[in-house]
Amino acid sequence: MIKFHPTNEQLSQFADGLLGATEALMVSAHCDMCERCMAKVELYTDASAEIALPQSQDDDSVDFGSMMHNIMQEEPEEGIQLTPKSQIIELDGRTFEIPRTLTRYTKSMGNWSRLVGKLWQAPVDIGGETVANFIYMEKGGSVPEHTHRGSEMTLVINGEFSDGIADYDSGDFMIMDCNNQHTPSTNADEGCLVFSIVDKPLHFTSGWARLINPFSHLFFK
Amino acid sequence: MLIGIPLENNKPDVRKPKDCAAEMSAYLDSVAKTRCKASFAKIFGYFAPRLRSYALKQMGNEAIAMELVQDTMSNVWQKAHLFNSEKGSPSTWIFTIARNIRFDMLRKLQNRKEDVCSDDLWPILCEQTADPKETSLEEKITLEQVGELFNELPLKQKAVIEAIYIDGKSQQEVADELCIPLGTVKSRTRLALQRLKDMLATHD
Repeated sequence: MIKFHPTNEQLSQFADGLLGATEALMVSAHCDMCERCMAKVELYTDASAEIALPQSQDDDSVDFGSMMHNIMQEEPEEGIQLTPKSQIIELDGRTFEIPRTLTRYTKSMGNWSRLVGKLWQAPVDIGGETVANFIYMEKGGSVPEHTHRGSEMTLVINGEFSDGIADYDSGDFMIMDCNNQHTPSTNADEGCLVFSIVDKPLHFTSGWARLINPFSHLFFK
Repeated sequence: MLIGIPLENNKPDVRKPKDCAAEMSAYLDSVAKTRCKASFAKIFGYFAPRLRSYALKQMGNEAIAMELVQDTMSNVWQKAHLFNSEKGSPSTWIFTIARNIRFDMLRKLQNRKEDVCSDDLWPILCEQTADPKETSLEEKITLEQVGELFNELPLKQKAVIEAIYIDGKSQQEVADELCIPLGTVKSRTRLALQRLKDMLATHD
């Protein structure tokens, strides 16, 4: 069951198109998996439409006539709605259903590479200053304890994991920043696939993984 | 200029969007089915000034606001057949079109590099314009590769790095254990890290 949702504030800003691109992407993917949040976004959108399009201020100086005329010269499009609902990706003989929002990115997804132990990662190029990855933890896998210099947004695509703070399940969405130090790991038989976006390299806080810190900018891209 | 199609701008329609939803749905339907210009004029007369107010508030620039109105109404004309009255009201549909266009316009204006477009987030007008561009991905250095490079370190440096980073010992503890001066531990650590860095750099 999904326990971790975006805040109402985030959902409302998403409905209004006011969230930043990567945050909007995560919230959108969460809504693909969460009927409750999807319904909320629809309510917020309806409300915003009523508020955003009230009676216009009277401004007779604006001439819409030629604009309307020009538009009606345009040819109608005959396309039909063909939005794929989700997509299946395969890893290690297992298949995973990727939420609709992220399907376009699976096309430019890099190869899976083993990070360390039972941890796999496939990079996704979403451009900008951020780094996005699908991360897969096999049963018994864990990410060394780390904190964040910037923020890390995570959406659980399939499976369960714990991080010493809470237990997460498919569809859960969370944002971690420098105040959160955690050690994600999974004991679920099917492992756990997450989608993660970070805007600064992770900072490993214990064990041999600290060895990575001096070079984290290289990992980061 | 527009024979037989009054714009009705002189008589602003003061009804709230939800109060004329059924009427606007019917107009959208006849635009979709018969390209009825009179119906489109009704929709346009009602929504264009409202969209302009919204766009002005959002974009704060008259020219850009009018561009947003134009693009939104153009989509309404061209894609009226994608409107589904069972899924929502005309005002919500038109608002979401405007919101999407605004989102994409702002991202272009801000010169943002993230490859995220409104179709990904809100597939309202999606006619599946999947972008088949194949991005070549830079080769990434993995932890595994660091592990391989780590094995190439000289034994003495490796021992120090192992003790500090894998066993979590302090430099002083390592010095005591290996019976070498603290300064030597420090310099070996520094040399090892430098070496790893160089190896990663050439790897890049």
